[in-house]
Amino acid sequence: MNAFLLYLVLLKATCTSFSGMASLPVLRNDLVEHYHLLTDEQLTRAIAAGRTGPGPIGLYIVCAGYLAGGIPGAAAGLAAMNTPAFFIILLLKWLGVRAERPAVQRTIRSSLLAAAGLLIATSVRLAESAVTSPLEAGISAAAFGLLAFTAVDSVWIMAGAAAVGVAARLLQP
Amino acid sequence: MNLHELARVYLRIGNTTFGGGDATIAALQREFVNKRRMLTDEQFGLLNGLSRITPGTNMIAFIAGSAWMFGGWRASLAAVGVVTAPTAALAVLITDAYETWSANAYAGGAIAAMTAAAVGMMFAAALLLVKSQWRRSRALRAAVLVTGSFLLSWKTPLSAVQTLVIAALAGYIWPEPEAE
Repeated sequence: MNAFLLYLVLLKATCTSFSGMASLPVLRNDLVEHYHLLTDEQLTRAIAAGRTGPGPIGLYIVCAGYLAGGIPGAAAGLAAMNTPAFFIILLLKWLGVRAERPAVQRTIRSSLLAAAGLLIATSVRLAESAVTSPLEAGISAAAFGLLAFTAVDSVWIMAGAAAVGVAARLLQP
Repeated sequence: MNLHELARVYLRIGNTTFGGGDATIAALQREFVNKRRMLTDEQFGLLNGLSRITPGTNMIAFIAGSAWMFGGWRASLAAVGVVTAPTAALAVLITDAYETWSANAYAGGAIAAMTAAAVGMMFAAALLLVKSQWRRSRALRAAVLVTGSFLLSWKTPLSAVQTLVIAALAGYIWPEPEAE
């Protein structure tokens, strides 16, 4: 797939979501199930890589683009991540007060809630390939708890997981 | 403030603030509302609200919108570029390292553990999305939308986009009870 087509595929995911990770179900639909450009394992690694450094949560799109199409794919991912942001200028110019309309607000709230349901379904599917041992299940549960209920930054969660992973290999007979 | 100076502020805040979008928006609020007084509280509120209804990543939308208010399209493009390009380059390097080192036993162990952590963080992201929209008076509505979209994805061949469109239509038609 050429970089422009990949950009359009990734753009479809970013344009149909209202927060960083909410684009994941659409992205998996297209890259894993439809075009077979990535496996579930690669997509999960892209998410892990995106959360390892600073930057927005949606950064995993760049990593997924890179795995699907090299440097041009990463550029397509960056462009797809950034493009929808400029819609805010149209909103500032023309929508203004209308953005506060109850019908607009509740439509967006519904999309966000549906995105959460889709994200749970996608996470279950990805967990089937990424969580294959009791240790990985424990790490996954700990990461969930730390991110959902504490203010620990995701970079520290990733660093802790890496340390546990290395320690487990060192202790392996 | 000229374009060069503006880009430097966005570059500094966007690439050194860990903690995701909300932390970066809070840092930009401190810089532009409290310290430099380039935005009023009302303008910040409008930008923050609109960034949440702009498709894609909220933080990038906030940056695009705030920079546009300061210096038009050029400032907006520059600010988004200086915030996302360096972090994207770093993310590519990290992805490459994951792929290269996964064959090494110890690095492979670290990567497998980080991948498992990423799965846990995805479930947390879903929970935080629900929490951000949760109101007691709208609990039934939230439960129906979350469970319904999960089941549509799990049990039917509908694509994620089709499910989102159905949810958006349902949300438009289904009036919300008054907030408590």
